[in-house]
Amino acid sequence: GRGGMKGGSKVIVEPHRHAGVFIAKGKEDALVTKNLVPGEAVYNEKRISVQNEDGTKVEYRVWNPFRSKLAAAILGGIDNVWIKPGAKVLYLGAASGTTVSHVSDLVGPEGCVYAVEFSHRSGRDLVNMAKKRTNVIPIIEDARHPAKYRMLVGMVDVIFSDVAQPDQARILALNASFFLKTGGHFVISIKANCIDSTVAAEVVFQSEVKKLQLEQFKPAEQITLEPFERDHACVVGAYRVPKKQKGTST
Amino acid sequence: MTLLYLLYESSSGFGLFEVHGLDEIGQNTEAVRSSVSDLSRFGRVVQLTAFHPFGSAVDALNQINAVSEGLMTEELRSFLELNLPKVKEGKKPKFSLGMAEPKLGSHIFEATKIPCQSNEFVLELLRGVRQHFDRFIKDLKPGDLEKAQLGLAHSYSRAKVKFNVNRVDNMVI
Repeated sequence: GRGGMKGGSKVIVEPHRHAGVFIAKGKEDALVTKNLVPGEAVYNEKRISVQNEDGTKVEYRVWNPFRSKLAAAILGGIDNVWIKPGAKVLYLGAASGTTVSHVSDLVGPEGCVYAVEFSHRSGRDLVNMAKKRTNVIPIIEDARHPAKYRMLVGMVDVIFSDVAQPDQARILALNASFFLKTGGHFVISIKANCIDSTVAAEVVFQSEVKKLQLEQFKPAEQITLEPFERDHACVVGAYRVPKKQKGTST
Repeated sequence: MTLLYLLYESSSGFGLFEVHGLDEIGQNTEAVRSSVSDLSRFGRVVQLTAFHPFGSAVDALNQINAVSEGLMTEELRSFLELNLPKVKEGKKPKFSLGMAEPKLGSHIFEATKIPCQSNEFVLELLRGVRQHFDRFIKDLKPGDLEKAQLGLAHSYSRAKVKFNVNRVDNMVI
Protein backbone atom coordinates (compact mmCIF):
# COMPACT_ATOMS: atom_id res chain seq x y z
CA GLY A 1 0.00 0.00 0.00
CA ARG A 2 0.81 3.65 -0.24
CA GLY A 3 1.33 5.15 3.17
CA GLY A 4 1.46 8.63 4.49
CA MET A 5 5.11 9.08 3.62
CA LYS A 6 4.38 9.07 -0.10
CA GLY A 7 3.85 12.29 -1.92
CA GLY A 8 7.38 13.41 -2.83
CA SER A 9 7.49 17.13 -2.55
CA LYS A 10 6.20 17.36 1.02
CA VAL A 11 8.99 15.16 2.36
CA ILE A 12 12.49 16.44 2.83
CA VAL A 13 15.32 13.94 3.25
CA GLU A 14 18.38 15.00 5.20
CA PRO A 15 21.59 13.12 5.85
CA HIS A 16 21.85 11.58 9.32
CA ARG A 17 24.99 12.09 11.42
CA HIS A 18 26.01 8.56 10.35
CA ALA A 19 27.17 8.53 6.72
CA GLY A 20 24.80 6.53 4.49
CA VAL A 21 21.81 6.95 6.83
CA PHE A 22 19.13 9.57 6.20
CA ILE A 23 16.12 11.08 7.93
CA ALA A 24 12.92 11.77 6.05
CA LYS A 25 11.10 14.75 7.48
CA GLY A 26 7.40 14.72 6.73
CA LYS A 27 4.41 14.52 9.01
CA GLU A 28 6.52 12.21 11.13
CA ASP A 29 10.25 11.78 10.92
CA ALA A 30 11.51 8.43 9.71
CA LEU A 31 14.91 6.79 9.49
CA VAL A 32 15.60 5.83 5.85
CA THR A 33 18.34 4.44 3.61
CA LYS A 34 18.91 5.23 -0.06
CA ASN A 35 17.44 2.33 -2.05
CA LEU A 36 20.21 0.50 -3.92
CA VAL A 37 17.54 -1.08 -6.14
CA PRO A 38 15.06 1.75 -6.86
CA GLY A 39 11.52 0.62 -7.55
CA GLU A 40 11.70 -2.43 -5.28
CA ALA A 41 10.74 -2.96 -1.67
CA VAL A 42 12.31 -5.92 0.17
CA TYR A 43 9.74 -6.65 2.89
CA ASN A 44 6.86 -4.37 2.00
CA GLU A 45 8.48 -1.40 3.70
CA LYS A 46 7.43 2.10 2.63
CA ARG A 47 9.43 3.89 -0.01
CA ILE A 48 9.87 7.62 -0.44
CA SER A 49 10.80 9.17 -3.73
CA VAL A 50 12.39 12.60 -3.62
CA GLN A 51 12.95 14.83 -6.61
CA ASN A 52 16.23 16.68 -6.79
CA GLU A 53 16.52 20.24 -8.11
CA ASP A 54 17.80 18.92 -11.43
CA GLY A 55 14.73 16.74 -11.84
CA THR A 56 16.39 13.40 -11.02
CA LYS A 57 14.71 11.20 -8.46
CA VAL A 58 16.18 9.38 -5.49
CA GLU A 59 14.32 6.64 -3.70
CA TYR A 60 14.65 5.91 0.01
CA ARG A 61 13.32 3.00 2.08
CA VAL A 62 11.89 3.48 5.57
CA TRP A 63 13.91 1.65 8.22
CA ASN A 64 11.72 0.57 11.13
CA PRO A 65 13.53 0.55 14.52
CA PHE A 66 10.94 -1.87 15.92
CA ARG A 67 12.03 -4.40 13.31
CA SER A 68 15.75 -3.71 13.25
CA LYS A 69 18.13 -3.58 16.19
CA LEU A 70 20.66 -1.64 14.18
CA ALA A 71 18.06 1.02 13.39
CA ALA A 72 17.07 1.05 17.07
CA ALA A 73 20.71 1.58 18.07
CA ILE A 74 21.08 4.45 15.60
CA LEU A 75 17.90 6.14 16.83
CA GLY A 76 19.05 5.42 20.39
CA GLY A 77 21.94 7.76 19.68
CA ILE A 78 24.84 5.35 19.34
CA ASP A 79 28.04 7.30 18.74
CA ASN A 80 29.47 5.23 15.88
CA VAL A 81 28.22 2.14 14.06
CA TRP A 82 31.29 1.90 11.79
CA ILE A 83 29.04 0.55 9.05
CA LYS A 84 29.38 3.23 6.38
CA PRO A 85 29.59 3.68 2.60
CA GLY A 86 32.33 1.44 1.16
CA ALA A 87 32.66 -0.72 4.29
CA LYS A 88 32.93 -4.50 4.20
CA VAL A 89 30.64 -6.02 6.79
CA LEU A 90 30.25 -9.55 8.11
CA TYR A 91 26.68 -9.87 9.37
CA LEU A 92 26.03 -12.82 11.71
CA GLY A 93 22.40 -13.80 12.25
CA ALA A 94 21.10 -12.32 9.01
CA ALA A 95 17.63 -13.92 9.32
CA SER A 96 15.43 -13.10 6.31
CA GLY A 97 17.67 -10.20 5.42
CA THR A 98 15.45 -7.23 6.26
CA THR A 99 18.16 -5.36 8.21
CA VAL A 100 20.80 -6.76 5.84
CA SER A 101 19.00 -5.01 2.97
CA HIS A 102 19.38 -1.66 4.78
CA VAL A 103 23.03 -2.40 5.51
CA SER A 104 23.37 -3.14 1.79
CA ASP A 105 21.88 0.33 1.03
CA LEU A 106 24.16 1.88 3.61
CA VAL A 107 27.50 0.46 2.43
CA GLY A 108 26.45 1.05 -1.19
CA PRO A 109 27.94 -0.42 -4.37
CA GLU A 110 31.54 0.04 -3.16
CA GLY A 111 30.94 -1.94 0.04
CA CYS A 112 29.71 -5.45 0.64
CA VAL A 113 27.82 -7.49 3.23
CA TYR A 114 28.63 -11.12 3.96
CA ALA A 115 25.33 -12.29 5.44
CA VAL A 116 25.41 -15.50 7.49
CA GLU A 117 22.21 -17.29 8.48
CA PHE A 118 21.82 -20.91 9.56
CA SER A 119 18.05 -21.33 9.41
CA HIS A 120 17.06 -22.58 5.98
CA ARG A 121 13.60 -21.14 6.28
CA SER A 122 14.84 -17.54 6.61
CA GLY A 123 17.83 -18.41 4.45
CA ARG A 124 15.56 -18.83 1.46
CA ASP A 125 14.33 -15.22 1.76
CA LEU A 126 17.89 -14.06 2.31
CA VAL A 127 19.16 -15.74 -0.86
CA ASN A 128 16.24 -14.32 -2.86
CA MET A 129 16.88 -10.81 -1.55
CA ALA A 130 20.56 -11.13 -2.43
CA LYS A 131 19.73 -11.97 -6.05
CA LYS A 132 18.75 -8.35 -6.60
CA ARG A 133 21.40 -6.81 -4.35
CA THR A 134 24.78 -7.78 -5.68
CA ASN A 135 26.68 -6.34 -2.72
CA VAL A 136 25.08 -8.98 -0.47
CA ILE A 137 26.89 -12.31 -0.29
CA PRO A 138 24.44 -14.82 1.23
CA ILE A 139 25.92 -17.64 3.31
CA ILE A 140 23.63 -20.37 4.63
CA GLU A 141 25.87 -21.86 7.27
CA ASP A 142 26.33 -22.09 11.04
CA ALA A 143 28.11 -19.00 12.42
CA ARG A 144 29.63 -21.30 15.07
CA HIS A 145 31.83 -22.82 12.36
CA PRO A 146 33.44 -20.00 10.39
CA ALA A 147 35.93 -22.50 8.92
CA LYS A 148 33.06 -23.92 6.88
CA TYR A 149 32.60 -20.64 5.01
CA ARG A 150 36.23 -19.48 5.01
CA MET A 151 36.35 -19.69 1.21
CA LEU A 152 33.51 -17.19 0.85
CA VAL A 153 34.60 -14.33 3.09
CA GLY A 154 37.43 -11.82 2.83
CA MET A 155 38.85 -9.59 5.55
CA VAL A 156 36.15 -7.21 6.80
CA ASP A 157 36.05 -3.78 8.48
CA VAL A 158 33.09 -4.52 10.76
CA ILE A 159 31.28 -7.52 12.21
CA PHE A 160 27.65 -7.03 13.18
CA SER A 161 26.35 -9.86 15.34
CA ASP A 162 22.74 -10.60 16.18
CA VAL A 163 22.75 -14.35 16.76
CA ALA A 164 20.85 -14.40 20.10
CA GLN A 165 22.70 -17.46 21.35
CA PRO A 166 24.09 -18.09 24.87
CA ASP A 167 27.60 -18.47 23.39
CA GLN A 168 27.37 -15.40 21.17
CA ALA A 169 30.56 -13.79 22.54
CA ARG A 170 32.49 -16.91 21.52
CA ILE A 171 30.81 -16.95 18.09
CA LEU A 172 31.80 -13.33 17.53
CA ALA A 173 35.38 -14.02 18.69
CA LEU A 174 35.78 -17.03 16.40
CA ASN A 175 34.55 -15.09 13.37
CA ALA A 176 36.73 -12.12 14.24
CA SER A 177 39.83 -14.33 14.44
CA PHE A 178 39.20 -15.46 10.87
CA PHE A 179 37.81 -12.37 9.20
CA LEU A 180 38.04 -9.11 11.19
CA LYS A 181 40.87 -6.73 10.37
CA THR A 182 43.27 -5.74 13.10
CA GLY A 183 41.83 -2.46 14.37
CA GLY A 184 38.42 -3.33 12.85
CA HIS A 185 35.17 -2.92 14.75
CA PHE A 186 32.31 -4.98 16.12
CA VAL A 187 28.68 -4.22 16.86
CA ILE A 188 26.85 -6.83 18.91
CA SER A 189 23.23 -6.92 19.93
CA ILE A 190 22.70 -8.68 23.26
CA LYS A 191 19.30 -10.00 24.26
CA ALA A 192 19.60 -10.60 28.00
CA ASN A 193 17.18 -13.50 28.37
CA CYS A 194 18.77 -15.39 25.47
CA ILE A 195 21.88 -15.67 27.61
CA ASP A 196 20.57 -15.94 31.16
CA SER A 197 16.96 -15.26 32.07
CA THR A 198 17.51 -15.80 35.81
CA VAL A 199 19.45 -12.59 36.53
CA ALA A 200 18.93 -8.90 35.81
CA ALA A 201 19.61 -7.75 32.25
CA GLU A 202 22.29 -5.34 33.39
CA VAL A 203 24.21 -8.22 35.02
CA VAL A 204 24.09 -10.19 31.78
CA PHE A 205 25.35 -7.20 29.77
CA GLN A 206 28.27 -6.75 32.16
CA SER A 207 29.31 -10.38 32.01
CA GLU A 208 29.08 -10.39 28.19
CA VAL A 209 31.28 -7.29 28.02
CA LYS A 210 33.82 -9.09 30.24
CA LYS A 211 33.81 -12.08 27.90
CA LEU A 212 34.46 -9.78 24.94
CA GLN A 213 37.38 -8.11 26.71
CA LEU A 214 39.01 -11.53 27.17
CA GLU A 215 38.86 -12.08 23.39
CA GLN A 216 40.86 -9.03 22.31
CA PHE A 217 37.79 -6.85 21.91
CA LYS A 218 37.79 -3.37 23.36
CA PRO A 219 34.20 -2.29 24.02
CA ALA A 220 33.86 1.47 23.69
CA GLU A 221 30.15 2.05 23.96
CA GLN A 222 27.03 0.39 25.32
CA ILE A 223 23.41 1.48 24.96
CA THR A 224 20.08 -0.17 25.63
CA LEU A 225 17.60 -0.46 22.80
CA GLU A 226 14.67 1.01 24.75
CA PRO A 227 11.96 1.87 23.80
CA PHE A 228 12.19 -0.36 20.73
CA GLU A 229 13.32 -3.57 22.43
CA ARG A 230 13.13 -4.66 26.05
CA ASP A 231 16.26 -5.92 27.88
CA HIS A 232 18.43 -5.54 24.82
CA ALA A 233 21.81 -3.84 24.71
CA CYS A 234 24.03 -2.91 21.82
CA VAL A 235 27.78 -2.91 22.42
CA VAL A 236 30.25 -1.37 19.98
CA GLY A 237 34.03 -1.45 20.05
CA ALA A 238 37.32 -2.23 18.37
CA TYR A 239 39.27 -5.43 17.76
CA ARG A 240 42.96 -6.00 18.47
CA VAL A 241 43.64 -2.34 19.10
CA PRO A 242 47.40 -1.86 18.60
CA LYS A 243 49.22 -1.24 21.85
CA LYS A 244 50.35 2.33 22.25
CA GLN A 245 54.02 2.96 21.49
CA LYS A 246 56.17 3.50 24.54
CA GLY A 247 56.39 7.15 25.46
CA THR A 248 53.24 8.22 23.64
CA SER A 249 50.82 7.12 26.30
CA THR A 250 49.15 9.89 28.20
CA MET B 1 64.85 -25.81 10.45
CA THR B 2 61.88 -27.28 8.63
CA LEU B 3 60.10 -25.37 5.90
CA LEU B 4 56.59 -24.14 6.50
CA TYR B 5 54.04 -23.85 3.72
CA LEU B 6 50.51 -22.47 3.94
CA LEU B 7 47.40 -23.61 2.13
CA TYR B 8 44.85 -20.86 1.53
CA GLU B 9 41.48 -21.80 0.06
CA SER B 10 39.87 -18.85 -1.76
CA SER B 11 36.69 -18.54 -3.78
CA SER B 12 38.69 -18.41 -7.02
CA GLY B 13 41.26 -21.11 -6.32
CA PHE B 14 43.81 -22.72 -4.02
CA GLY B 15 46.90 -20.79 -3.03
CA LEU B 16 50.12 -22.29 -1.69
CA PHE B 17 52.55 -20.04 0.16
CA GLU B 18 56.00 -20.48 1.63
CA VAL B 19 56.93 -18.86 4.93
CA HIS B 20 60.43 -17.36 5.08
CA GLY B 21 62.50 -16.12 7.97
CA LEU B 22 60.94 -18.44 10.50
CA ASP B 23 64.16 -18.15 12.52
CA GLU B 24 63.61 -14.44 12.87
CA ILE B 25 60.00 -14.44 13.92
CA GLY B 26 60.26 -17.83 15.59
CA GLN B 27 56.91 -19.26 16.55
CA ASN B 28 56.07 -15.96 18.18
CA THR B 29 52.44 -15.14 17.56
CA GLU B 30 52.84 -11.57 18.76
CA ALA B 31 55.63 -10.89 16.25
CA VAL B 32 53.48 -12.28 13.45
CA ARG B 33 50.54 -10.17 14.53
CA SER B 34 52.50 -6.98 14.20
CA SER B 35 53.85 -7.86 10.74
CA VAL B 36 50.56 -9.05 9.24
CA SER B 37 48.90 -5.69 8.56
CA ASP B 38 51.76 -4.23 6.57
CA LEU B 39 52.12 -5.88 3.13
CA SER B 40 55.75 -4.80 2.61
CA ARG B 41 56.71 -6.60 5.82
CA PHE B 42 54.32 -9.51 5.40
CA GLY B 43 55.36 -10.00 1.77
CA ARG B 44 58.92 -10.68 2.92
CA VAL B 45 57.74 -13.35 5.34
CA VAL B 46 55.12 -15.06 3.17
CA GLN B 47 55.54 -15.64 -0.56
CA LEU B 48 53.30 -17.27 -3.14
CA THR B 49 54.53 -20.67 -4.35
CA ALA B 50 51.64 -21.68 -6.60
CA PHE B 51 48.03 -20.87 -7.40
CA HIS B 52 45.46 -23.28 -8.78
CA PRO B 53 42.43 -21.43 -10.19
CA PHE B 54 39.13 -23.32 -10.26
CA GLY B 55 38.14 -24.35 -13.78
CA SER B 56 34.44 -23.54 -13.57
CA ALA B 57 31.61 -22.64 -11.24
CA VAL B 58 30.77 -26.33 -10.87
CA ASP B 59 34.38 -27.12 -9.99
CA ALA B 60 34.43 -24.29 -7.41
CA LEU B 61 31.23 -25.62 -5.82
CA ASN B 62 32.69 -29.14 -5.59
CA GLN B 63 35.82 -27.74 -3.96
CA ILE B 64 34.00 -25.68 -1.33
CA ASN B 65 31.65 -28.55 -0.52
CA ALA B 66 34.67 -30.76 0.15
CA VAL B 67 36.68 -28.10 2.00
CA SER B 68 33.80 -27.23 4.32
CA GLU B 69 33.44 -30.92 5.20
CA GLY B 70 37.18 -31.31 5.76
CA LEU B 71 37.71 -33.52 2.70
CA MET B 72 40.51 -33.44 0.13
CA THR B 73 39.49 -33.53 -3.52
CA GLU B 74 41.60 -35.09 -6.30
CA GLU B 75 42.32 -31.55 -7.58
CA LEU B 76 43.62 -30.42 -4.20
CA ARG B 77 45.71 -33.59 -3.89
CA SER B 78 47.43 -33.14 -7.25
CA PHE B 79 47.96 -29.41 -6.56
CA LEU B 80 49.73 -30.22 -3.29
CA GLU B 81 51.75 -33.15 -4.64
CA LEU B 82 52.86 -31.15 -7.66
CA ASN B 83 53.97 -28.06 -5.74
CA LEU B 84 55.24 -29.32 -2.38
CA PRO B 85 58.57 -31.17 -1.91
CA LYS B 86 58.22 -34.91 -2.41
CA VAL B 87 57.54 -37.03 0.64
CA LYS B 88 59.93 -40.01 0.51
CA GLU B 89 58.96 -43.27 2.10
CA GLY B 90 60.72 -44.02 5.35
CA LYS B 91 62.12 -40.50 5.64
CA LYS B 92 60.80 -37.75 7.85
CA PRO B 93 59.71 -34.83 5.62
CA LYS B 94 61.63 -31.59 6.15
CA PHE B 95 58.55 -29.42 5.70
CA SER B 96 55.02 -29.05 6.95
CA LEU B 97 51.81 -27.56 5.61
CA GLY B 98 49.89 -25.06 7.70
CA MET B 99 46.15 -24.78 7.19
CA ALA B 100 43.01 -23.23 8.62
CA GLU B 101 41.27 -26.37 9.77
CA PRO B 102 42.74 -29.53 11.35
CA LYS B 103 40.17 -31.98 9.96
CA LEU B 104 41.22 -31.32 6.38
CA GLY B 105 44.83 -31.49 7.58
CA SER B 106 44.47 -34.98 9.02
CA HIS B 107 42.71 -36.13 5.88
CA ILE B 108 45.54 -34.81 3.72
CA PHE B 109 48.13 -36.45 5.97
CA GLU B 110 46.38 -39.83 5.87
CA ALA B 111 46.22 -39.85 2.09
CA THR B 112 49.55 -38.22 1.14
CA LYS B 113 51.77 -38.36 4.28
CA ILE B 114 52.22 -34.58 3.95
CA PRO B 115 52.58 -33.40 7.56
CA CYS B 116 49.94 -30.75 8.34
CA GLN B 117 49.51 -28.35 11.20
CA SER B 118 46.81 -25.94 12.25
CA ASN B 119 47.58 -23.79 15.27
CA GLU B 120 47.44 -20.23 16.53
CA PHE B 121 50.65 -19.31 14.72
CA VAL B 122 49.44 -20.67 11.37
CA LEU B 123 46.05 -18.99 11.82
CA GLU B 124 47.78 -15.64 12.36
CA LEU B 125 49.72 -16.06 9.13
CA LEU B 126 46.53 -17.01 7.30
CA ARG B 127 44.88 -13.78 8.53
CA GLY B 128 47.64 -11.96 6.68
CA VAL B 129 47.12 -14.04 3.55
CA ARG B 130 43.39 -13.32 3.66
CA GLN B 131 44.05 -9.62 3.99
CA HIS B 132 46.52 -9.39 1.11
CA PHE B 133 45.40 -12.31 -1.07
CA ASP B 134 44.37 -10.39 -4.20
CA ARG B 135 47.74 -8.64 -4.23
CA PHE B 136 49.62 -11.95 -4.16
CA ILE B 137 47.79 -13.26 -7.22
CA LYS B 138 48.74 -11.14 -10.23
CA ASP B 139 45.86 -12.36 -12.39
CA LEU B 140 43.25 -11.13 -9.93
CA LYS B 141 42.01 -7.61 -10.61
CA PRO B 142 40.44 -5.59 -7.78
CA GLY B 143 36.89 -6.81 -7.34
CA ASP B 144 37.50 -10.20 -8.99
CA LEU B 145 37.66 -11.98 -5.66
CA GLU B 146 34.37 -10.48 -4.47
CA LYS B 147 32.74 -11.54 -7.74
CA ALA B 148 33.98 -15.08 -7.22
CA GLN B 149 32.77 -15.01 -3.60
CA LEU B 150 29.36 -13.77 -4.71
CA GLY B 151 28.88 -16.44 -7.36
CA LEU B 152 30.16 -19.24 -5.16
CA ALA B 153 28.15 -18.10 -2.12
CA HIS B 154 24.96 -18.14 -4.18
CA SER B 155 25.52 -21.64 -5.52
CA TYR B 156 26.69 -22.96 -2.13
CA SER B 157 23.75 -21.40 -0.27
CA ARG B 158 21.13 -22.30 -2.88
CA ALA B 159 22.17 -25.92 -2.60
CA LYS B 160 21.91 -25.75 1.21
CA VAL B 161 18.41 -24.33 1.13
CA LYS B 162 17.27 -26.75 -1.55
CA PHE B 163 18.61 -30.00 -0.16
CA ASN B 164 17.69 -29.59 3.47
CA VAL B 165 16.55 -33.02 4.53
CA ASN B 166 15.32 -31.77 7.92
CA ARG B 167 12.89 -29.41 6.31
CA VAL B 168 11.20 -32.28 4.54
CA ASP B 169 11.14 -34.26 7.78
CA ASN B 170 9.51 -31.36 9.57
CA MET B 171 6.72 -31.29 7.07
CA VAL B 172 6.09 -35.02 7.49
CA ILE B 173 5.80 -34.65 11.25
